[in-house]
Amino acid sequence: MNDHSQLLNRTMGIIYPFVILFGIYIVLNGHISPGGGFQGGAVLSSVFIAKYLSQPIMFLDLYRIQTIEKYALLSLLILATLFITLNVYQLFVHSLVYYMVLANIIIGLKVACGMTIIFYRFAFYESR
Amino acid sequence: MLEIALLLLIITSIAAIQTRYMRQAVIYLGLFSLAISFVYLLYSAPDVALAEAIIGSTISTILYIVALQKYKIYTIYYKLQSTELDEHATMSLHKQQLIKSLEKFCSKQELETQIIYSTEDIKFIMEQHQYALILEEKENTLVIYAHPENYKFDALKSFLEIEVHPRYHYEFVKVEEDIL
Repeated sequence: MNDHSQLLNRTMGIIYPFVILFGIYIVLNGHISPGGGFQGGAVLSSVFIAKYLSQPIMFLDLYRIQTIEKYALLSLLILATLFITLNVYQLFVHSLVYYMVLANIIIGLKVACGMTIIFYRFAFYESR
Repeated sequence: MLEIALLLLIITSIAAIQTRYMRQAVIYLGLFSLAISFVYLLYSAPDVALAEAIIGSTISTILYIVALQKYKIYTIYYKLQSTELDEHATMSLHKQQLIKSLEKFCSKQELETQIIYSTEDIKFIMEQHQYALILEEKENTLVIYAHPENYKFDALKSFLEIEVHPRYHYEFVKVEEDIL
């Protein structure tokens, strides 16, 4: 996208916070309503992807995002293992809900980071 | 409601295959994703519908469009006489036909066409501009100059011999490197 459309820029500026709110809502309500970590993460990453359309500038540190993604995967594995082995769900009443919300948040973070990396890598580095 | 959505699926998928331009196909695919996510919703699978709507019609559409941006642009210079470039002058019919068939060739080869009409001298165009083809009319022959790195030139030759324009005889010239 070589031409910087004024219309697109203004509209995206207004829409960003709502898209981010919607993504967070999907992630946090994943255990009771349709959606979940994956869908919410995709919505969150679509914010960055839509930003590319209005301003095609490389402003992210992809290496740092990749580190965050790896830590998210590691913490997800640790969380699931601990939950199964320690019998946490017997400790207190709503532990299952907390577990699902926490896991959804981590999955959402991981998916958002991963899709952003894929897109920016494709848009800026890959060419014929 | 379900029947309308299913019909929309068929229509958009056929349109995505049949259209000549890649951009339109991408847009039809986005519409297809939206319709199929609605169908998922009606079949009571809201989770899948949400994922399809986000990924199918947002992210993959943008990815395809960005991929199309990385296309090479096929620049064609058409040399005109200065009287032909006036405001009120209209293009003659055979010229329009020629340009239309060139655009057809480019869309077959999946290239973006960019046609520039100019009155500049051919040597000047060769030295100063990025070009793939330069067309020049000399009475009844159409001289086609091709850039030395133009690897679609043989395909263009065989294409133009199938699409016969009765007014023209073609003369193909491959520009040598040392002229530049």
